[in-house]
Amino acid sequence: MNLFEYSAGELHKKLLAKECSAVEIAESVLERIDACEEKVGAYLAVTGEQAKAAAAKVDAKIAAGEEIHPLAGIPMGIKDNICTKGVTTTCASKMLYNFVPPYNATVMDKLEGVDAVMIGKLNMDEFAMGSSCENSHFKLTHNPRALDRVPGGSSGGSAAAVAAGEAVVTLGSDTGGSIRQPAACCGIIGLKPTYGSVSRYGLVAFASSLDQIGPMGRTVEDVANLYSVICGRDPMDATSARREYPDFAAQISGDVQGLRIGLPKEYFGPGVEEGVRAAVMDSIHALEQKGAKVVELSLPSTDYALSAYYIISSAEASSNLARFDGVKYGYRAEGYTSLTDMYERTRSEGFGDEVKRRIMLGTFVLSSGYYDAYYNRAKLLQKTIAEEFAAAFEQCDVIATPTTPTTAFRLGENVGDPLKMYASDICTVTVNIAGLPAISLPCGMVGGLPAGLQLIGPRFSEGRLFNVSRALEQERGGLCAVAAL
Amino acid sequence: MLEIDIKHVAKLARLRIEDEKVEMFQRQMGDIIAMVERLPEMESRVLPVDRANRMELRKDEIKPSLRRDVILANAPETAAGCVVVPKTTES
Amino acid sequence: MNYVTVIGLEVHAELSTKTKIYCSCKNSFGSEVNSNCCPVCTGMPGTLPTLNEKVVEYAVKMGYALGCKINNVCKSDRKNYFYPDLPKAYQISQFDIPLCEHGYVDAIIDEEGNTKRIGVTRIHIEEDAGKIIHADPYPGKSLVDFNRCGVPLIEIVSEPDMRSSAEARAYLETIRSILQYLDISDCKMQEGSIRCDVNVSVHPEGSDKFGTRCEMKNVNGFSNVVAAIDYEAKRQIEILEAGGTIQQETRRWDAATGTNQLLRSKEDAQDYRYFPEPDLLTIVVDEDRLEELKNEIPELPNVKLKRYMTQYGLPYFDANLLTENVDKAKFFEDCMALERCQPKNVSNWLLGDVSRILNEKNIGLDRTSLTPDKLCDMIALIEKKTISNTAGKTVLEEIIFSDKTADDVVKEKGLAQISDSSALEGIVQQVLEANPKVVADYKGGKSNALGFLVGQCMRLSKGQGNPTVMRELLLKALG
Repeated sequence: MNLFEYSAGELHKKLLAKECSAVEIAESVLERIDACEEKVGAYLAVTGEQAKAAAAKVDAKIAAGEEIHPLAGIPMGIKDNICTKGVTTTCASKMLYNFVPPYNATVMDKLEGVDAVMIGKLNMDEFAMGSSCENSHFKLTHNPRALDRVPGGSSGGSAAAVAAGEAVVTLGSDTGGSIRQPAACCGIIGLKPTYGSVSRYGLVAFASSLDQIGPMGRTVEDVANLYSVICGRDPMDATSARREYPDFAAQISGDVQGLRIGLPKEYFGPGVEEGVRAAVMDSIHALEQKGAKVVELSLPSTDYALSAYYIISSAEASSNLARFDGVKYGYRAEGYTSLTDMYERTRSEGFGDEVKRRIMLGTFVLSSGYYDAYYNRAKLLQKTIAEEFAAAFEQCDVIATPTTPTTAFRLGENVGDPLKMYASDICTVTVNIAGLPAISLPCGMVGGLPAGLQLIGPRFSEGRLFNVSRALEQERGGLCAVAAL
Repeated sequence: MLEIDIKHVAKLARLRIEDEKVEMFQRQMGDIIAMVERLPEMESRVLPVDRANRMELRKDEIKPSLRRDVILANAPETAAGCVVVPKTTES
Repeated sequence: MNYVTVIGLEVHAELSTKTKIYCSCKNSFGSEVNSNCCPVCTGMPGTLPTLNEKVVEYAVKMGYALGCKINNVCKSDRKNYFYPDLPKAYQISQFDIPLCEHGYVDAIIDEEGNTKRIGVTRIHIEEDAGKIIHADPYPGKSLVDFNRCGVPLIEIVSEPDMRSSAEARAYLETIRSILQYLDISDCKMQEGSIRCDVNVSVHPEGSDKFGTRCEMKNVNGFSNVVAAIDYEAKRQIEILEAGGTIQQETRRWDAATGTNQLLRSKEDAQDYRYFPEPDLLTIVVDEDRLEELKNEIPELPNVKLKRYMTQYGLPYFDANLLTENVDKAKFFEDCMALERCQPKNVSNWLLGDVSRILNEKNIGLDRTSLTPDKLCDMIALIEKKTISNTAGKTVLEEIIFSDKTADDVVKEKGLAQISDSSALEGIVQQVLEANPKVVADYKGGKSNALGFLVGQCMRLSKGQGNPTVMRELLLKALG
């Protein structure tokens, strides 16, 4: 096995046993990027020299006998909407093609604090708007499990890099499914944490009340370790929760005896591909074999969640993306004749169609005379959805659903049909609307493509989600293998 | 079904939609709005402020600002320590 | 026809907190351009606001001072519009739930101390925008300085309760003195720390229906507010007189020409697309903290002014000047608490010689050694006629910057006034002998010659003779 194929947990053991150095690990991953990036296209920027320098520091610490963190020397990729000081952060948009943040996102400071090694910045749908990575201004990313398929989105680069072995773990962001849906498409693990548990400072905002940064990886332990590093109260983010978090990886038992698994009937409707449904039910049965119990339930407002999601997220996006105006940073159009002309040219040339569509939708639903009919109604519905989940969690401990109704679609298949594209988010958006944590796990192959199981828990129940995930991981035989390319 | 005034909304958002794309935006946004129209009427019309969702406030203590050249490093055009824009008319 | 002018004001006051409202950058005026800036206040991607607790507390204090209901559970909202001085392209403000509402200001509108109650609709907190600079070397361009971005503001919105520019001025002056009393704003008009949006409408006298209003944005300075109101009222009346109708619009006041021009009509009204700020949670001020803040509110200047007029019998002029500044008012009241001298005498000394010395040195009372005790000792000596008023001035100069008491100085300099007539008779005799011509004038009917003779006596006594006694002795001697 090559070094890039191991999990972070195994690499950590190798480092401690001096079976390899951090520089060797970084070089292995960089070689893998060289070898398969042309086919996959996960990265927008590879920071090889910086990565090797950071790895050398870890080797020096090991040589000096210092204790190192489980993620020290582990090569990781970062979604390109997370600000990295001195390294371009483009959001895969022409609008920010040259933006170099003079500050780190809080999660980057935390990762640097444990000597993690950033290997590069990952492709995504422009400003995290999309479900296929096809909205990137710069390049297409291919699904490493089937190169003619999309990797999912918006964190498509983050998922593809992990699946291809181009990074050991990655950070993505999830506003309506953008970590879980690509994780499912690429056959890896992705966690969307509880809203407020990971600082959003330095995450370029799409929809502030829904966005969360989250970890992606090939083992539950890696995802839990990465989550333990990035979570926690941040005084720079007023929406981050004040609470103590355990060392999640250390607490994973994999024991599901007596666990009540809720199956909401709305998530298993006719829109769900038969093979996907069967794969999800296989996993549920496996958990039953290990002592879990199934509870049938209903979350009736689910049907409206997608609408509420598009109103709330677009409204916030229209405001969040108004700052991109060619004045302070990023792209500025040429040939303008006035201030307004400069604004309009810059924004029309700098944003892609999907971003414009959401800005337009958001502007419309907030505009005079429409606020109550749309935005206010959606916010009220959000409350109802959250209450339904709260009631459901009195009957069960976790809720299980498919992550996506289908497996990854072909590149180009849904371009130009936003509603069809949006439908792939149908199982994931409710979680963001309700501010809950959810994890997507590979649950088998359907027609040669990975299917994903989503486990949803009450707020701050990540530890429980990791536990159930471990039970399934054991069942499946451990590490998600790197795609053969 | 509701006709969205694409040109007006675009103007509010400081976007310019090419004539040949107006129809596409009209149709796509119309589809989304049609989906939204299915939202149930809600009983309560006012969203109460949630006291439980209380915010921790920041202490009034000065921290260093960034150097001016760092603040302006990403700006497309600068002069005399300022960001430069086409002449404004208001004010 | 006669017209009634109806005025409403929106006052924006910059708060004098140490840091900005949503980041920890220094809140200061007059720094080099773009030197008090960070990623947050320049709206860089990914940055988030954190609300300064002092901004909330200052606004609550102002709310209590203006008799408002405090919405101690409230939220922030985004007001969206594009302009280069607003880096995020939205201003974090408050929309439907302001921190304070339903208050009032009792503005003193004349020298009898009569007040008029002007309703305060709301007070909310928000952030200031940056500054746009137009400079000759850059034709066709504007420069943007972000230093002011995020400077905390309170916006105080009045009811349309004012009926003249004079009332508007009285309202503004009261607001300003209250801000100063609470020590929450620098109130420097030339630095733009108080700015006004002015709403004006007119309607025929006798009608109970208000006219269509026009708004003038960013009128700086009280005299500009007065001029802008008078100009706009006149403009509207002329339109009505000519048979026209007033259009609801926003106009720009041009202080240089003393006129205003159309900025935008109602049809072009901005659509701000307000919605709750998702980056901030609920603002909650605990009930016990509210109580503490309420207890920190001092007696307000307008209330104090009226009390000085009634309780101490001071004229408006004195009461107004004494209450202008918290330190001066406190000093005055500490003097009154000693119950040693007349209020008017204390006022005269404080507003006269004490103020003159402070002004000459450009310092405040706190930089002197003067205490209420020392000042009142001195004034009491004058009231008891132990020293003359003139000697009092000498005493003040000596005690204001030293540890000496009035008694010390009187003894040291031998300033005690002589009222013993036997001691003064010799002086009177000398003066009469030395000025036979003046004596003759007096006897010839020029009664003002007496004043000259009193003055000569005072000179000869080196200011120590009691002028009243001196005058009596002169009259007796002149028969």
